[in-house]
Amino acid sequence: MDYTISNIAPIVLLPFLAFVINVFIVKRFTKVAVGLSVAAIFGSFLYALRIFLDFMNVYNTNYYVHKAFNWFDLSTGAHVFKVNMGIYIDNMSAVMLLMVTGAATLIHIFSTWYMHDDARFGRFFVYLSLFTSAMLGLVLSDNLLSVFIFWELMGFCSYSLIGFYYEKEGAGNASMKAFMTTRVGDVFFLLGILAIWSVVGSVSFTEIYNAIGDGKFNNLYALGIPLATLAGFSIFMGTVGKSAQVPLQVWLPDAMWGPTPCSALIHAATMVAAGVYLSLRMFPLMEVGHLTTFIAYTGAITAFLAATIALVQTDIKAVLAFSTISQLGYMVIGIGVGSYNASFMHLITHAVFKACLFLSAGAVIHSIHEQQMPKMGGLKSKLPYTFLAMLLCCLAIAGVPFFSGFVSKDRILGDALIMALENPVYIPVALLGFAGAGLTAFYMFRMLFLTFFGEPRDHHIYDHAHDEHLGWNSNIPLLILGVFTLGLFYSGSFTGLGEVNLFGSKYEWFNTLIAKPEAKNLAQFKSYVSTPFSTVDMREKAQLEKSAYDASHGMSEEAAHHAHLIHKIGAALSVIIAFSGIFIAYLMYVKKSLNPAGCTEFFKRWTEALKNKYYFDDFYIKKMIQGGLLPFNDLLSRFDMGFYDKYAVDGWEKVNQYAYKISNWFDNNIIDSGMVDGTGASVRLMNVVLRTIQSGKVQMYFVVLVVVLASYVWTLNF
Amino acid sequence: MISLGSYLAISFALFILGIAVMIARKNIIAILLGIELILNSAALNFAAYTKFVNNNLDGHVMSLFIIVIAAAEAAVGLGIVIRFFQLRESIHIDDAASLQN
Repeated sequence: MDYTISNIAPIVLLPFLAFVINVFIVKRFTKVAVGLSVAAIFGSFLYALRIFLDFMNVYNTNYYVHKAFNWFDLSTGAHVFKVNMGIYIDNMSAVMLLMVTGAATLIHIFSTWYMHDDARFGRFFVYLSLFTSAMLGLVLSDNLLSVFIFWELMGFCSYSLIGFYYEKEGAGNASMKAFMTTRVGDVFFLLGILAIWSVVGSVSFTEIYNAIGDGKFNNLYALGIPLATLAGFSIFMGTVGKSAQVPLQVWLPDAMWGPTPCSALIHAATMVAAGVYLSLRMFPLMEVGHLTTFIAYTGAITAFLAATIALVQTDIKAVLAFSTISQLGYMVIGIGVGSYNASFMHLITHAVFKACLFLSAGAVIHSIHEQQMPKMGGLKSKLPYTFLAMLLCCLAIAGVPFFSGFVSKDRILGDALIMALENPVYIPVALLGFAGAGLTAFYMFRMLFLTFFGEPRDHHIYDHAHDEHLGWNSNIPLLILGVFTLGLFYSGSFTGLGEVNLFGSKYEWFNTLIAKPEAKNLAQFKSYVSTPFSTVDMREKAQLEKSAYDASHGMSEEAAHHAHLIHKIGAALSVIIAFSGIFIAYLMYVKKSLNPAGCTEFFKRWTEALKNKYYFDDFYIKKMIQGGLLPFNDLLSRFDMGFYDKYAVDGWEKVNQYAYKISNWFDNNIIDSGMVDGTGASVRLMNVVLRTIQSGKVQMYFVVLVVVLASYVWTLNF
Repeated sequence: MISLGSYLAISFALFILGIAVMIARKNIIAILLGIELILNSAALNFAAYTKFVNNNLDGHVMSLFIIVIAAAEAAVGLGIVIRFFQLRESIHIDDAASLQN
């Protein structure tokens, strides 16, 4: 397959075109617009599938496609200011493309069921199309600047969709909160781009890798801090904002004001994952900047705090929101402990099962018009397919063997354990990670049990719930996503430990293909030449050697054996923890032999803190906004009123008044009296002269004639 | 022999007299007579110059033309005067002032 503009651009352009067309036709032809959106994203999916299959066919770790065209070039002499735009597809982008388009297609289809009786049915799809095109653009981008553009575009769509039910005050506030909070991260991200620009002179990924490989970041300092650290930190703060890590995690729970499918797409599967994706892309920078410990701690704290908050939530979507924050925390731990591959794998597996969880929650909410779990219960018989999908996803997220969550999360935790054994600094990370895993299993099954098991707690709601029937656009997408929660698809083996060989050379494909861009394979970018667009890819793909799974991950035999052993211990540990979490949830909410009230009583103060989400919101509102921003605002307004208004604006008024007087005088005397009236007067004067000449006396004319002729003749003589 | 200057002097005198008549007299017929004087002075000039400068018949021919034109002009002028007299019962030039202002 050749990579030209005509078979890559449609991935982004199809949803974008659907957006542009739908903006105009959505009011009148709502059904057509919806169909167009769904068809467009399905078309993108087919293109993405084509690319993915090609990459699977080539099956080489170092294979990538990079095409760029010159966007603008403002270089003057030695001062280079040039930006290329283009696409960069490596194995990671190919997998990501397939995940985004696939999940988005299913979510679009589900939305046609979920939103069909909404007053703004069509508008929802307009935003979804714009969002998907932005997300796909971000995945395809080859440089940080276009990543930033698509990043902001996604932020806007997220803002619009959170505030989708804008009649509700809470939704409006939540959308603003989400936008402003992520903005903090975005500012850092932009600073990071500038910092990288100042060193590399380009923002293209390949050139950044190249520069890092060349050691251009060595011995560069800004404000006494290594520049790589500064740039890496700024980029990572972008991730913190977008992926809702501590301390900027406050927006994601509020984002649940949006419609549930948008939560599934934006706030679970794609946009929040884009933050992690960015950090993965910039992974060499994080390593050069020695930020891995900081990142690991951020992730661990986020994973644990969010998991604990999820314990006490009663709103079904709030549980999922905190669970998303927690799982994103695991991905960030993965970046921090250097398990690049597992982190990205968790991104993909999480996107699938969390999208499915959100859609299931949406199906429940749509059926009973209630979000509070204490009012649910016993819905298993009413919503059998939703229950099945949610059960699969809960097993996956809890980390039960044979499910995708186990494969990915277990590898992150295993790597954290290895790091903890090597370096005591990482011990808290591993501990928080394992504790969070147990909590995850507990709160997810708490949600499942409260929703689907036991006696119906609110008979009115239960009796009015519709019995679910198999429908192509309601529960089929759930079941498809549910099937993909099996670990088989990601690891090629049931356990994720690479012990069962199912697909020949393709087994453990995820592990084989996604390689950490370390210094040793950064060398491939040294020979990088940007291929102009629309030329045929000249590399002979058939000659590329197929990569094979390396169980030792390039380590010595002893080290690999050691790592393998610790991975097994970690796997066993996480399985035990997951099952104990599930078991405690079972005891509490199904058998009711343990009373949850006793627990909350025992940890009274802590429960209070959890219910208030660790007072982050209070802190931001009371301390940061009311204590810091508002007084500052006040000061500025005082300056504005007291100084600027009083002297500059009012002074300007004085100046204006004088100018007015001058110009008034000028107008009256010079213009009006002098020029306007003067024109009249001069005409009248001429009139008088001409009238006297035109006497009507022929002899007078004759005299004038003679005088003129005589004087003419007289002048001729000189 | 009579010099060119003498001819020109007479011609000039005729011209000035003609102009004086035209300016001073209020009788339209007298003004027509003044015009005749001016035309005659011009004809005399032609005759004098052709005699003293290029010595051919061009000037004489032109003089004859002027005499003919003067006769035609006098006829037209007198016609106008008659029509004017029929209209105003006067041949005073200041009565012909309807173009004033």
